[in-house]
Amino acid sequence: MQTKRPVISYVLLALYALIVLLPLLDLVSMSFKDLPGIISHPFSIPTSIQWSNYADAWSEGNIGTFLVNTAIVAVVSVVIIVVCSSMAAYVIARFEFRGNQLIYLTFLAGLALPIQMIAVPLFVLMKQLHMLDSLLSVILVYSASGLSFSVFLLVNFIRSVPKDLEEAALLDGASHFQTFYRVILPLVRPALSTVALLNFVSAWNGFFFPLILLSDPNQMTVAVGVLSFVGQYATQWNLLLPALVMVMLPTVIVFIFASRQFIRNMTEGAIKL
Amino acid sequence: MQRKNRTVIAVFLAPAVLLYLVFIVYPFLSSLRYSLYNWDGVGPLKDFVGLKNFTYILFSPQFAGQFWRAVYHNVYFFVLSMILTSIIGLGLAYLLMRIRETASRWLQVIYFIPMVVPPIVVAYLWAMYLEPNDGAIPVLLKALHLNFLNIAFLGSEQWALPVIAVITAWAGMGLPILIFIAALIGVPSEVLEAAKVDGASEFRTFFSVVFPMIKPTFLTITTLNFVGAFGVFDYIFIMEGTQAGPNYATDVIGTLFYRTAFGGFGTTAQGMGLATALAVLGFIIVMMASAILVLMQKRASADL
Repeated sequence: MQTKRPVISYVLLALYALIVLLPLLDLVSMSFKDLPGIISHPFSIPTSIQWSNYADAWSEGNIGTFLVNTAIVAVVSVVIIVVCSSMAAYVIARFEFRGNQLIYLTFLAGLALPIQMIAVPLFVLMKQLHMLDSLLSVILVYSASGLSFSVFLLVNFIRSVPKDLEEAALLDGASHFQTFYRVILPLVRPALSTVALLNFVSAWNGFFFPLILLSDPNQMTVAVGVLSFVGQYATQWNLLLPALVMVMLPTVIVFIFASRQFIRNMTEGAIKL
Repeated sequence: MQRKNRTVIAVFLAPAVLLYLVFIVYPFLSSLRYSLYNWDGVGPLKDFVGLKNFTYILFSPQFAGQFWRAVYHNVYFFVLSMILTSIIGLGLAYLLMRIRETASRWLQVIYFIPMVVPPIVVAYLWAMYLEPNDGAIPVLLKALHLNFLNIAFLGSEQWALPVIAVITAWAGMGLPILIFIAALIGVPSEVLEAAKVDGASEFRTFFSVVFPMIKPTFLTITTLNFVGAFGVFDYIFIMEGTQAGPNYATDVIGTLFYRTAFGGFGTTAQGMGLATALAVLGFIIVMMASAILVLMQKRASADL
């Protein structure tokens, strides 16, 4: 769809890129300013760099603990999801058995399930298991809720890959587990990276379940941690802004590294929505 | 089927199915059950009330007003996000198709970034920009001599909800853009060439050739927006609190559910039974809308 007037396209597209990037870059730049500089001069380059903002936010605001907790939740959930969903997807995509379609559709149905529909029983269940205020509760909930999209994506991806290689491996006497590990997993790596990325982001950013399941400041993840931080320090922007930057950086960095493959998967039909 | 295969199937499925059964399916079924009881969340379920929780939510003078107000706000949120994603999302996707591929890829990455920024960061960033008088946006509006727009946006009953919908759209535009691009890639270039040869203007081509071809995608976007708008919670809770202020002007099913189940900040919880009934009603709304939209989408795809 090449046309004669790409200039207008470029201008409009660049304008929207600014609308997206400017606030985020400004957040980073403001986080280095002193308090009067933040209020009176938004959108300006800081005149002096206040690294101490970061040190203060880290120590006073407990941000360090929140970051470590969130990293544990996100990484463990991603590992569980990648392992469980790829194994399940392989069987759903490649074996015919009774209940195959039912299991697949049950996973799919989770995509449209409002979280309120499971919130109260999960709260009650975690209370009975004495897991309130434990990171494990949030890890389990994210691992389970991440399965829907991951199974969906991987089943579609595996179905799009020709069967030849696996059949050759099985004929050579490899077990199903070896075939899965040595043939299927390498083949679906592009899709796995998208599964890992999306689940890392949603576990890191997750707000609702930490809100209802975690209330001990030592067991909080960033989303709820920052909420309590604001409750405590209100509009001390010189502490809040560095905290926000530290909370935001991990997902943005992970995304930028994985973005090429992700965009390709999303726009070139690996995921058919 | 051979025995060996059955073992393989069972072993490979077990971890995912177990996790899903315990933490998704079982809670889902429990919610259906709890919704039929008067229960404050402690002790055994014994006070079976049938559909009383539902009639209380839908018809009682104490609760029905809050419920319908929340539903209205969800619908309002849906309509606004639909308008924003259709115009901006489809517009940007269309423009991205007309420029060089490398540049287009980079811009797609940039446009997606806000989607990975934690809602807590997006919410406080924009809350700071919207601070009355001192925030960047009021300062900007004053510089443009638009003093009448110097409003405490998040504290205004009239403005708070639309402003939060715009912030949500700012944060969520990346996905619809990618979905629209995937659809536009599927429009065959011969069709566009033919339209050009026939002398159709670019506008004409878009509305009479391209748009009908991506109608199924449009319905996908509608479904995503509907599910999203009825699930909205984070931004409203963070920016307007448990009470979804000012004066409940931003109260949606999500925040009403939270107050009913867990209470907090000046509200007492009204019971887990009532809250799950509320969740079930929200679920029914989302299911009915999704079912209709998926049927429409099937029909639209078949028509192509």
